[in-house]
Amino acid sequence: MKEKLLMVIFLLVLGSILTTALVAVNYYTKPIIEKNEELKLKRNILRALKLDFQEEEIEEVFEENVTVKEKGGRTFFIARTEKVAFLFEGSGLWGPIRGAIAMDTALTTIDGITIIYQEETPGLGSRIAEREYLDKFIGKKFSPELELTGEGKAVEENEIDAITGATLSSDALIRILNNNYREYNEAFKGE
Amino acid sequence: MAVKLSNTRSYNTVMDGLWRDHPISSMVLGICSALAVSNKVENALAMGAGVIFVLLATGIIVSVLRKLIPRRVRIITYMVTIASFTIIVDRYLDAFYPEIREAIGPYAGLIITNCIIMGRAEAFYIQNNPFQSILDALANGVSYTYTLTSMALIRELLGFGTVLGFRIMPEGFTPWVVMVMAPGAFFVLAVFLWVTRTMARVEPE
Repeated sequence: MKEKLLMVIFLLVLGSILTTALVAVNYYTKPIIEKNEELKLKRNILRALKLDFQEEEIEEVFEENVTVKEKGGRTFFIARTEKVAFLFEGSGLWGPIRGAIAMDTALTTIDGITIIYQEETPGLGSRIAEREYLDKFIGKKFSPELELTGEGKAVEENEIDAITGATLSSDALIRILNNNYREYNEAFKGE
Repeated sequence: MAVKLSNTRSYNTVMDGLWRDHPISSMVLGICSALAVSNKVENALAMGAGVIFVLLATGIIVSVLRKLIPRRVRIITYMVTIASFTIIVDRYLDAFYPEIREAIGPYAGLIITNCIIMGRAEAFYIQNNPFQSILDALANGVSYTYTLTSMALIRELLGFGTVLGFRIMPEGFTPWVVMVMAPGAFFVLAVFLWVTRTMARVEPE
């Protein structure tokens, strides 16, 4: 009996000490982690809107140039340069894909895209996050939807090249963009 | 009379961890994370540092408390200790190295299940004094790190053409994508095990 009691006491004491340490670490790191998340978001929105910034002055540039507006339950980031950005999200081939897209104020033409998070196959699907590929979206229109074509075959204003060897990932990105665009477009024009 | 270095206990502890009982190639522990996090040198170094930290902390706590820990709850004691320090590593990376944390993904948290730590606690720290345990933790942690890093060197060089993000291979080089994917990890680890075990066998006793 005494042995059992000692076991419980030992674990309780050890557990409490280690938990206290964890609480302290959490207290110390939580604001930094939240700050990182916020900066990452702002950095990507600024990149999508093609606003130049230095790493140290993200906050200021964001404050100066971007106004956050809620419309139809969705968040839009409106830049002074007559552009609107919003965040998109959906399932890729292996995991979630999140990013930011910038368009003109009528939400017709794409002006820039950045990928914030993706888990596609390194070297293949992950190329959807490369600047070279994302730049192909610039000037394209959702009329009524983006469509995927074979690599190098895109001519129409709503056609996007697929990435050879990563068709499923490029397909997923197009699908995510179409779905998100539909919802955000309704929310933006609904009011 | 001076004692021969190779006969001291500390020397043996360190050499066992670094080479003779190498955690990855001899005990074949910690394979899961070695396969997953060895695609880039940067990630391998961060993962190695995390494992060294948790190993050291566990080694110190378990060896200091070794006479107090009731035998029947020793595994729980290891788990509680390892889990707490792993969470600390995870939070630290999240706060100060968010990019690396993202690249390592779930594996930072999975240090909890890294068998090297659990294995060393049960095999060594519970029976030895803190000084020997610290030596053992350092030796095993360094072993894990140099293995991951050397695997990552090969995989990053061939798979991305870079080392630590710097381009090494010439412009026209076609990256061997397979090297940074799961199969590449198996190839490199297999070659590593083969080479090191062959070398270890010819070493005189």
